[in-house]
Amino acid sequence: MIKNIKLYGSFLVASLKRMMEYRVDCLVGMVSQIAFQIIELIFIWVIFQNTDNIAGWSFEHLLLLYGVMMLSVSINDLLFDSTYDIGNRLIKKGKFDTILLRPVHPLISVLGESQTSTALGYMVLSVVLIVTMLIKLQITITIFLIIKILYFGILGGLILGGIQTIFSVAGFWIYKSNEVVWSVFQLHKLAQYPIEIYNKFVRIILTFLLPFAFTAYYPTLDYLGVSESKLIYVTPLVVIFVWMIAIKVWNWALNKYRSTGN
Amino acid sequence: MPIIKVNNLVKKYKISQKEHGMVGYIKHLFHPKYKEQTAVNNINFNIEQGELVGYIGENGAGKSTTIKMLTGLLTPTSGEIIVNGIVPSNKRIENNKQIGAVFGQKTQLWWDLPVIESFRLIKKMYEIPDGEYRKNLKKFTQILDLEELLEKQVKNLSLGQKMRCEIAATFLHNPKVVYLDEPTIGLDILVKEKIRKFIKDINQEKNTTVILTTHDLKDIEEVCNRIILIDKGTIIYDGEKETFKNKYGKHIIAEFVIQNKKSNIALETSKEEFEVLEEKEKNIKIKFNHDKQTIMNIVKAISNYCEILDMHIQEEGLEEILKEIYKGETIND
Repeated sequence: MIKNIKLYGSFLVASLKRMMEYRVDCLVGMVSQIAFQIIELIFIWVIFQNTDNIAGWSFEHLLLLYGVMMLSVSINDLLFDSTYDIGNRLIKKGKFDTILLRPVHPLISVLGESQTSTALGYMVLSVVLIVTMLIKLQITITIFLIIKILYFGILGGLILGGIQTIFSVAGFWIYKSNEVVWSVFQLHKLAQYPIEIYNKFVRIILTFLLPFAFTAYYPTLDYLGVSESKLIYVTPLVVIFVWMIAIKVWNWALNKYRSTGN
Repeated sequence: MPIIKVNNLVKKYKISQKEHGMVGYIKHLFHPKYKEQTAVNNINFNIEQGELVGYIGENGAGKSTTIKMLTGLLTPTSGEIIVNGIVPSNKRIENNKQIGAVFGQKTQLWWDLPVIESFRLIKKMYEIPDGEYRKNLKKFTQILDLEELLEKQVKNLSLGQKMRCEIAATFLHNPKVVYLDEPTIGLDILVKEKIRKFIKDINQEKNTTVILTTHDLKDIEEVCNRIILIDKGTIIYDGEKETFKNKYGKHIIAEFVIQNKKSNIALETSKEEFEVLEEKEKNIKIKFNHDKQTIMNIVKAISNYCEILDMHIQEEGLEEILKEIYKGETIND
């Protein structure tokens, strides 16, 4: 296990080095993604031109939620971006065969292929949003709060990564597996709003089925100090559970893939 | 105790069958039909530690499928493979630690990193001890002439340079068994020679077992001591390279430089005597079975139609022998 995590680290560092070889690509990717996020923020602003709260959440509350969500997204992008389209990038081109010949679990190699130009931009954007909104909402920024935000940010990133990994197995059967992952992550967009605006059914999905609510909504409630709910304390368990399923699903898919051949 | 044991190995693929035209494709989308195709049909062989085996056959004969099963990339439909005590498709990672593999044009190196960085990652993956790594790197750099390449990015290397690095990467962790699937494809003669020498040297020094598939039979002539010939999924020859030549290489090829040709020699002589491969005004090239004919008879026969100035005789190489086998000429004799 320790050896695998170390190797994953080495692969990831190599992968990020490779990315930095292409400075312009890197920069263009970053700028376009930030532009995309800013459009989303403008959309939220437009909503608040017509109302002063959504289910009791003000504009500032919502931007804080958005910043918290972006932090987990940026960590997912940094660590697990490569599972987004293994079908097209690895399996179609036959690169997966060389990965299967390594003396390492192939999931470690695949995760280690992550190269993202968006993570840094997202991280900056989320830090700016979180800090300004905390100040605006007159919440005291203590060391404890900073550690808590980082801690839940990382756990949130791990949850997103686990969910992405589960659905990435589509790549073993279809080349356009990114469309499957993309569809699932459309549901993630629901998590950028407070989940009490949805009906019970959607809330259950976002908490138990695809636990996106743990990556933004529950931690934000905690930072705002309005939560009576103890649900946030099970976040580490959610992480473990999601990854256990991810590894099981991956091994199962891998076995299927190898017996049929390509 | 053989290092590789293969018993009754079978691999069947499902091939999707489409009818022609757009309608056929649309039908296939909703009602796919599959046909079963046997790529490898009940093959058996044992390979001892340190053997250099040439695994040859036409395109589609089942070579790559066999290699993929040996490496654990594919699970056999039935039958058994044991490599150094391990069933590759069951304990893939264990098996990967003790083998090395090169698959034609697919690279195991990191495309946009300097070669040496790939080597370092390989060192970490296989947990190669420092001393062993340095020793191997030094030796491989010298035999394969890698000195100038190590700091370059893989994407900037030529095909030959890349393959030299690839081969080095494959042997870095002292694998017990190495599978080389078309390692010399598209390379120039000098690079081919370097690679052949490298394989022989490492085999001598470390007793590495090597299984080589190739279409360049010069590779086999120079490197291998055993040949396994596969055709349509079954093994049709397995044994010593020299025995193979003696058994099937019954033909001799002779070239004559001639003058004052009186008539068309191919038309005047029968195929029973010899076969004319090429006939021009000043020279003629023929092939004959040396169990049935002698060179003196041939010379006599040809000198009836022209004056012979010079001649050149050679035994058939592996390539000609295989051509005949593929055409179905020799194997039934």
